Amino acid sequence: MSNQTRQRRDFLKWCACAGLSLATPLRHERAVRAEDSRELPPYDGPYYIVFNAAGGWDTTYLMDPKGTGGINRLYAEGDILTHGVHRFAPTEKHKEGGLSNEDFYAEFGDELLVFNGLDYSVNNHAPCSRYMATGKLDSLAYPTFAALVAACQGPDCPLSFLTFGNYSATGNLVAMSRVPYLPSLQRIANADAIDGNERSPYHDDFALARIEQALGDRRAAQAARPLLPRRERAENMLYAAQVNSKALARVTPHIPKSIPKQRLAQQAEVALASFKAGVCVSANLSIGQFDSHANNDRDQMKLIPEFLEGVAYVLHRAEELHIRDKLVVIVQSEMGRTPTYNKGDGKDHWSIGSAMFLGPGITGNRVIGATDEGQFAVPLNPATLTQDADKGIRIRPEHIHEALRRFAGIADHQACEEFPLKVPAEENLQGFWS
Amino acid sequence: MKTHPADKSRTNGDRAVLCLVATVATALAAVAQAADRAPCPGPDCLAAADKWFADEVWARVGAMECIKCHKQGGDAEDTLLVLRDPGLAQGDELKKLMQLNRDAFARVARLKSDGQPVLLAKVTGGLDHGGKQVLKPDSTGYRILEQFVRQIDTPTSAPSTGSLVDPDRPPFFDGVLMLDDRRLLRRATLSLAGRLPTEAELKQVSSHGLKAIPLILDEVMREDAFFERLREGFNNIFLTLGINGNPDATVLSYEHFEKTRLWYQKHDLSHITDEKERRQAGYKLANDYRAALLGEPMKLIEYIVRNDRPFTEIVTADYIMVTPYTARGYGIFDELQGQFSDPDDPFEYIPVKLDALTGRSRREDQESETGFYPHAGLLSTFQYLSRYPTTETNRNRLRARMYYQHFLGVDVLELAARVSDAAAVTAKYEIPTMQASECVVCHKTLDPVAGLFQDYWRFEANFAIYGKRKDGWFTDMFDAGFEGEDLPAEERWRALQWLGERTAKDPRFAIAMTEHAYYLLTGRRPLLVPKDLDDPLYPAHRRAYQEQRQQVETIARRFVDGGFSFKGLLSDWVLSDFYRADGLATVAATPERRAELDDIGVVRMLSPEQLERKLAAVFGRPWGRLTDQTAMLYGGIDSKEVTERATDPSGAMGSIQRTLANDVACRNVAYDFSRPPADRVLFPEIEPDVRPGTSPEADVRIRRAIVHLHQRVLGRDDEPGSEEVDRTFALFAGIVTDAATREGIDEREIYSCRQGLESPVVDAHYTVRAWRSVVTYLLRQQEFLYE
Repeated sequence: MSNQTRQRRDFLKWCACAGLSLATPLRHERAVRAEDSRELPPYDGPYYIVFNAAGGWDTTYLMDPKGTGGINRLYAEGDILTHGVHRFAPTEKHKEGGLSNEDFYAEFGDELLVFNGLDYSVNNHAPCSRYMATGKLDSLAYPTFAALVAACQGPDCPLSFLTFGNYSATGNLVAMSRVPYLPSLQRIANADAIDGNERSPYHDDFALARIEQALGDRRAAQAARPLLPRRERAENMLYAAQVNSKALARVTPHIPKSIPKQRLAQQAEVALASFKAGVCVSANLSIGQFDSHANNDRDQMKLIPEFLEGVAYVLHRAEELHIRDKLVVIVQSEMGRTPTYNKGDGKDHWSIGSAMFLGPGITGNRVIGATDEGQFAVPLNPATLTQDADKGIRIRPEHIHEALRRFAGIADHQACEEFPLKVPAEENLQGFWS
Repeated sequence: MKTHPADKSRTNGDRAVLCLVATVATALAAVAQAADRAPCPGPDCLAAADKWFADEVWARVGAMECIKCHKQGGDAEDTLLVLRDPGLAQGDELKKLMQLNRDAFARVARLKSDGQPVLLAKVTGGLDHGGKQVLKPDSTGYRILEQFVRQIDTPTSAPSTGSLVDPDRPPFFDGVLMLDDRRLLRRATLSLAGRLPTEAELKQVSSHGLKAIPLILDEVMREDAFFERLREGFNNIFLTLGINGNPDATVLSYEHFEKTRLWYQKHDLSHITDEKERRQAGYKLANDYRAALLGEPMKLIEYIVRNDRPFTEIVTADYIMVTPYTARGYGIFDELQGQFSDPDDPFEYIPVKLDALTGRSRREDQESETGFYPHAGLLSTFQYLSRYPTTETNRNRLRARMYYQHFLGVDVLELAARVSDAAAVTAKYEIPTMQASECVVCHKTLDPVAGLFQDYWRFEANFAIYGKRKDGWFTDMFDAGFEGEDLPAEERWRALQWLGERTAKDPRFAIAMTEHAYYLLTGRRPLLVPKDLDDPLYPAHRRAYQEQRQQVETIARRFVDGGFSFKGLLSDWVLSDFYRADGLATVAATPERRAELDDIGVVRMLSPEQLERKLAAVFGRPWGRLTDQTAMLYGGIDSKEVTERATDPSGAMGSIQRTLANDVACRNVAYDFSRPPADRVLFPEIEPDVRPGTSPEADVRIRRAIVHLHQRVLGRDDEPGSEEVDRTFALFAGIVTDAATREGIDEREIYSCRQGLESPVVDAHYTVRAWRSVVTYLLRQQEFLYE
């Protein structure tokens, strides 16, 4: 990377982090010039996908099976299956479409890290979603992990943080991109050509170069003036968005010709094409309707297999695109379901749940944490990751997020320091990932 | 400090101790109150103590934590500590309320249990505190209370002066530059009516300054474009356009509108002989009908504002808005027909009071003492009820939550309190929402309002929205009511009207509407109270919050005093420093000052709709491509899944901005030159044959043309010799010069950019394309893409 490019990357990172940099004396770096507006090298990973089962999944029908005490009507304790150290609920006979637990674990169990007994502390959708996405319950300002890692690792990517739903706050660190349809990707590539046709540019090269230079000059002049913080952020983010958007032209070759039918697969193709083109760091993928207050088993047997099928789709397509070895997958939901059925055969909100992780740097075939026979969280010793009902602690989203920040190598980044999780050192999960 | 219903399982011994404490405390209260003041040497001392209490104990602990439960109607209303929310109070009233709160705190601060201050024990979760731990012992909030207790215990000591407020700090807007009056007018007319100011309006402002603006705005807010903006702004809040399914089914239910809701299917279109045309007309009929149904709630808001009616009618109006098409759906067209100016206009709305609903069977008939549907503004519209539906398990709590958020500005789930083990609480109590203090704190407020919606108890809007629960309303919920007042049985048939009447009188309503006006104008919510007392920038954040809050309250009071005029709200915000702030005289020198100013200035990225309107205002016609999927890509909303507009541009949006700038310039530059000078909007005083560097006069004309473009496109009033004009001139001249050195340059504009011209435009010297580059350059700037 040339020194000039490096400087520009630094500048753009700062641009995106402008909301953080209240005291950062980096004003000289704002003097970006048009010659800096050349296309950036692609971001080459790692990539992060956060799958969200919106509404609250029933973990006892997936990675935390019980089969006792009336918790599950579709199977008994003796029906619980295993793969390596994993125990999971049998769903092959009950699922409506999608991928069964049996098939999912058979293919991915060796790579899969499961955490059971996660305590969300509350049991309403909005706060739970926020808490699980950010690791912070009592703030509306904190960024989601996906946004945070995008801001830290690729703020200059034009689609750095993609979201298809779920709680998606960015903490003003990075812009959130919504690209709901594959054809939309085509639409935003090649903005300087008429109807996106590269052979029909709006401007001759020399004119376009002059426009870019004038915009860069103006940007530099603005940066030298005292501006209100909001204005300064807006100028920076606007300039970065327009300049970086040129890189979107790289997406075109990776847009598949046919559009998959499954909900998650459609989202996945947008994310994967963007990853492959080096224009994206992270994506929130989400499907909803897990909130099975009525007919829990029917709903969960339709949705969990659909969800797992989506996860498998991503992993298969990532393999085909040769980015699987750089793809980190986080699978979560904002809450669990109660251990009892209500009068409508549904299950209500439960503040204990699970999460799954898979990707480079994560040792699979492991299960950390647990719930007891009543589906209550069992305290965990964070140093040994063993159950310790007496001296253990309740593992909450901030513990997982702190671990994620360390895993991604961003825990010491200025953005993370700006949004501290304040997990005491002795509560850090030691050896969580491998 | 409080007793929760959950605490009623306490032993008699516990109760005795609490009673004793309360009795002793009451007996001591009067003495204590006097003693509290006695040692104070004079008014200054007392004022300092009061100020310290207001700034520290109240602002940082009482208002943020204690008052959630310790208030009339709150979960801890039967304890010794009952606080008063100052709301919109000011002057002597505010002083009186703060004094009452200080006295209440002081009473509890004197109590001891085993020699330890009860206040400190309770707040950290001791002595069976119903609210469990509120503050950690090492927190700033705790230290403030500790200091307060010490002050009460040793009244001879000087009052605490540890306030973080610097009395010598400069005024909040010190060094902040305000928009000049002309630019303020441009910002306001573009924002509110999607147009540029007229010459006459600019003259008024030039002559009379800021004083002219309210009168001008008063006229602007009579234009149709304003009402379009108003409806759009309020849909961003209420999202009633986001109803699922076909509105002819999900707004008008089978149960009550079975025979009329699908009127369009039988509508006689036989006068259209061509089959295809007839089919298309049928589609249009249905689409217009559905759009008209969806539009009713926002048209209600428009009607209220257009007719200068008190804005409280959004919760009290005893009518809805219907059109000739929707009236057919309701089955009331025949009786209304004569009231419409054009009975065939699908979008002519008039106010109407519906009859009470009649079901297919008598048991589904609506109860009504008047014979009319009990309208309560938006609250009782089928659209609002359908957009925020209920389920068997949700029990109208979503509706109650949205009611609080929309009409009182309270987000009950905004910052949910952490529970040490929520699962255990859920399992421990038979009815956690009525017994577990962690749940009661919200449900005691939320559930009574949910109960007011009890007669809208159907789960499939297609079949019914109105309908009673077969077994009566739930007994394992707090009774229907509002803020501690039970709904009288005889009012049940009009429960939402009962709620609307109370809402209109609630001071939080005025605040919420003031905040909605701010949201409409700036695209963001007012600041939330900063919570992190240990943040080094807390004082700066707090000051920013307080200054803005003070403005919100001032405008809200004027709103109330002015008879709830929503136009007045908008006008007041436009004239406020928060809307006018535009720059800084000098760089904010410290992180603290930057933090104070962090949210100042409108600086709002225009939404797709606003951007189209602005393009239409500047160029005389919209771009027309920021619609549907492109609008969504550009941060728009669908009012269903995507309900928050993007506030910062992503790379995808940056790409759209570039396309927009290229394409709008392409469509308009040669076209403008092709028109008679008098009709031009971009180049009224220059022709393509004026080339840079050919004569001083030519350069002067080019600079004047640039000044005009800067004014028209960016709203800037630049001098011909200014730095900005220099830069644009250099762009224009540079391109013309570059082109002159190239071979094979076509003497015409490119094909796509010379379509639809009114007369041929020659571009022999590349000046037309250079001007197009200039316009592209201007359209990509923050001053165009933001407001």
